[in-house]
Amino acid sequence: MATILADRRARLVTSPLRHLDPILVLVPMIISALGIVMIYSSQRTLLEQAGDDPLYFAKRQVIGVALGLVVMAAMIAIDYHKLRELALWGYGATVAALFAVLIFGVEVKGAQARFDLGPLQMQPSEFIKLFLILVLAGYVAIHRGELNAKRIVISLAIAGLPMGLIMLEPDLGTDLVLMMIAFAILLVGGVKARHLVVLALMGITVATLAVNVGVLEKYQIDRLTSFAVDGTDPSGSGYNQDQSQIAIGNGRFTGEGLFEGTQTQSAYVPEQHTDFIFTAVGEELGFVGSGLLLGLFSLLVWRTWRAARVAQDRFGMLCCTGVLAMFVFQIFENIGMTMGIMPITGIPLPFMSYGGSSIVVSFACVGLVANVTMRRFS
Amino acid sequence: MTDSRVRVTLIGVVALALFCALFARLWYLQIASPNQFVEAARDNSVRKLPEPALRGRILDVAGRPLVDNRIANAITIDRKITARQRELVIPRLAELIGVRASELERKLDDQRVSPYTAVPVAQDVEDSVIVYISEHREDFPAVRAEPIAFRRYLHGSLAAHVLGYVGEISEEERKAQLGVGSYELGEGIGKSGVEQTYESELRGKSGVTQVEVDSRGRVLRTTETKRPRVGNDVRLTINLDVQRVAEESLAQGMLGARIVQDLTNKDEFETFTAPAGAVVVIDSTDGSVVALASNPTYDPNKFVDGIATPLWKQLNDAANHYPLVNRAAAGQYAPGSTFKLISGIAGLQSGVISPGKSIEDKGRYSYPTDPNRFFTNDNSVAYGSVNLARSLTVSSDVYFYTIGGDLYYRQRHGAPGGDALQKTARAYGFGEPTGIPLPGELSGRVPDSTWKQRIHKANPEAFPYPDWLPGDNIQLAVGQGDMLATPLQLAVAYSAFANSGTLYQPRIAAEVIGGNGRKLRSIEPIVNRSVPVPGRAEIVRGLTGVAYDTEGTAASVFAGFPAGLVSGKTGTAQVGDKQNTSWFVGMTPAVNARYIVVVMVEEGGYGAATAAPIARRVIQVLNGLPLTDVAIQTPPKGN
Repeated sequence: MATILADRRARLVTSPLRHLDPILVLVPMIISALGIVMIYSSQRTLLEQAGDDPLYFAKRQVIGVALGLVVMAAMIAIDYHKLRELALWGYGATVAALFAVLIFGVEVKGAQARFDLGPLQMQPSEFIKLFLILVLAGYVAIHRGELNAKRIVISLAIAGLPMGLIMLEPDLGTDLVLMMIAFAILLVGGVKARHLVVLALMGITVATLAVNVGVLEKYQIDRLTSFAVDGTDPSGSGYNQDQSQIAIGNGRFTGEGLFEGTQTQSAYVPEQHTDFIFTAVGEELGFVGSGLLLGLFSLLVWRTWRAARVAQDRFGMLCCTGVLAMFVFQIFENIGMTMGIMPITGIPLPFMSYGGSSIVVSFACVGLVANVTMRRFS
Repeated sequence: MTDSRVRVTLIGVVALALFCALFARLWYLQIASPNQFVEAARDNSVRKLPEPALRGRILDVAGRPLVDNRIANAITIDRKITARQRELVIPRLAELIGVRASELERKLDDQRVSPYTAVPVAQDVEDSVIVYISEHREDFPAVRAEPIAFRRYLHGSLAAHVLGYVGEISEEERKAQLGVGSYELGEGIGKSGVEQTYESELRGKSGVTQVEVDSRGRVLRTTETKRPRVGNDVRLTINLDVQRVAEESLAQGMLGARIVQDLTNKDEFETFTAPAGAVVVIDSTDGSVVALASNPTYDPNKFVDGIATPLWKQLNDAANHYPLVNRAAAGQYAPGSTFKLISGIAGLQSGVISPGKSIEDKGRYSYPTDPNRFFTNDNSVAYGSVNLARSLTVSSDVYFYTIGGDLYYRQRHGAPGGDALQKTARAYGFGEPTGIPLPGELSGRVPDSTWKQRIHKANPEAFPYPDWLPGDNIQLAVGQGDMLATPLQLAVAYSAFANSGTLYQPRIAAEVIGGNGRKLRSIEPIVNRSVPVPGRAEIVRGLTGVAYDTEGTAASVFAGFPAGLVSGKTGTAQVGDKQNTSWFVGMTPAVNARYIVVVMVEEGGYGAATAAPIARRVIQVLNGLPLTDVAIQTPPKGN
């Protein structure tokens, strides 16, 4: 009897769950809860006017978060080393899905990026973020520290394949995220300084070509450049950014009050439940609320960064690095865009923006990072 | 691994920097920046919806409404109708209310209507249409049936020239009114008559509903409501009954004259044209206008909903004799013998005549320096010995030619009082607007030597003689030549005579009444000046003779009239190549007359023939006598 108990205790003691980072896991949950409230606040008037359930988006987001929590639990439960092989399948399947979405997908706001599965829509480009992190981290980790030109090219191909497909949708924002993930993993993975320079030059060349050859649509260029132009007209590309800054600026210190923001309740900011969700926080909860949200994001980023630092092996570290790059870039680009210091690209704010795919993938990434930290001693 | 950890740290530093940037920007937007964003947010979402005030009513002297507002069901279309909805709704609506789709399109595109109010496209629609629309709401998106106030002129064209009409404010009027209280585009404003002069009283104060709207302009909530304040009522001095009789009588008389032969035309058979006329009734005790009629006239109701172009053209067509012109105040005519009152007073004032002194009337007169040029009585009748009273009764031209000639002689020789005719005329209000609070009044003309020189200088070809000649003064004495007066001026002048010398500014409104029915303020009579009234008794005797003496020019008209009820003066003014202007100024009662009735009919022949019978009927109503139809006199005698 005693031995069984001792044995069980011993197993519990050595269980990796003992080392689970509670901050890392809790912070996304808090942010998601706030996200649901803000989605409701920003859409209820419009939905009511249309005669729909004002809770429509909020309810769907709750389902997304619940799904995300399940996925996060799964990601924590499976040893991340096993994920390495599984991810290859995932990567392959998602790339196939990216092909398929170009043919069978539904077009939403000018981009063919989603599958319509009855009540649900799925966005493969969100899932590719997770699988790219795993696959690229896995590939780079095998060749520990010896990244020669050939291996870099293979790495670039791993990232470039889905990026090319996403470019065709077109979804510039997600491509930028994937680029940042790949860059961070290669950087930490030990790419040499001279290769870095070449990579940077290549990046610039690709960007210049994209703008000049016409791969990018006019509106994409306009959106990218309008934030830098002063006094943009309210009807043009600068409208979103003007209105979103007005909304945030209108919040002042304590905000207009939940459900009381005139900009928010009047639907002046387009896409306020998705890409511009931060403006609802800014206006209704003011500096106190939005500062707190930024603080929560900082916590999340800090714990992810710490996870990369303390990871037991190179693969774990690279995974965390990829997630770190993804979060940092998405948060900075998204919030920066709403405040007028970054160009407008369609990148969701992790855990806040409405959208099941984004929520599930974000939670999965947190799960991956938590997985790496808690198994750092085993 | 160590090298990798360093690189992870590097990423961490970059992340830290980025988050610092976000915090800094957030701090700037929400804390450090001025309130520009708060203001922008307010501008974004606040809309002011003006709610027009109900316009005040216009009442007659007894408080009977002449103009009020009718609340009618109108069909309006929301301006935010989408192109697709429009495509569907317009033909459906056109079919339903039976108008052309293009007409609806035109009204909907009318930029004069405020962009924040719905555009009225049809009014007075049948109840069944309203019911149909409300039952098939989904078929008529953006369409509403709602009550709208329309100005209503209760008696049609009655007193149209007094009341005026309301129309949409023009761009110039909007600019002119900027300081007064701004008008919205498309708002109504008084365009003529009392509607224009008492605009500020009648208009009321628009209400404002301040609402918050969303990005698509849909109303979220009402933040502030200021109820519109209804305009004040204006009680006029016009008496509805007298006004009606005046208009009827004028119309009767004009119609009657048109079938009477003009005997002055010896060459061919011709009836009187009598295309236009005017009647003014003034209370001599305070200058109140009791009735003011001008014919031809128009129906102000036709202006209520924006006047149709063909009608507007009609109203401004010479062939229709300009119905919009108020001939009582804006028609200028030679006053003819009605001017003899002024000439008589001028003669007495200057001493060229005295009440008892007679002049031998041989039927013609010539000025001493030009003995071969004769100024004759009508038909060259010789009246023999004529004193002031008889000169008026029989309307002896020679008597007044003599005054004109004698005064000219004084002018020529620098003797004092030579300008008595002009001076008296001006004192009695001729040559200047009377100041009646109606727009468009003209001043007439009192000709003198200065005026003649001026027009000669301005246009030597049309006016070759710069000098004031004897004939000019002689003609002036009988209200001919270049003398011009409005019917209103004559009424004001005779009023001053009747009330022993107080020249009033004609008063058209008596008081302003608030929306709650309480009197806000009286509009007091305004005295312009005092005028001399010499020989009043003699003159009154002469003017009474006009109606009652067997040789009175209007004796046949007033045959059988109660004694002492009326005095007056006929006038028959020659006008270039047109038929004579028919004048009559009646005063009732004969002595110390309370009311002055001026009747003028263009191309109506003798004063006694057309104008006096019209005046007779108006005097009947003023005295509560039974009304008899206007009977044109033919052939009359005397002018």
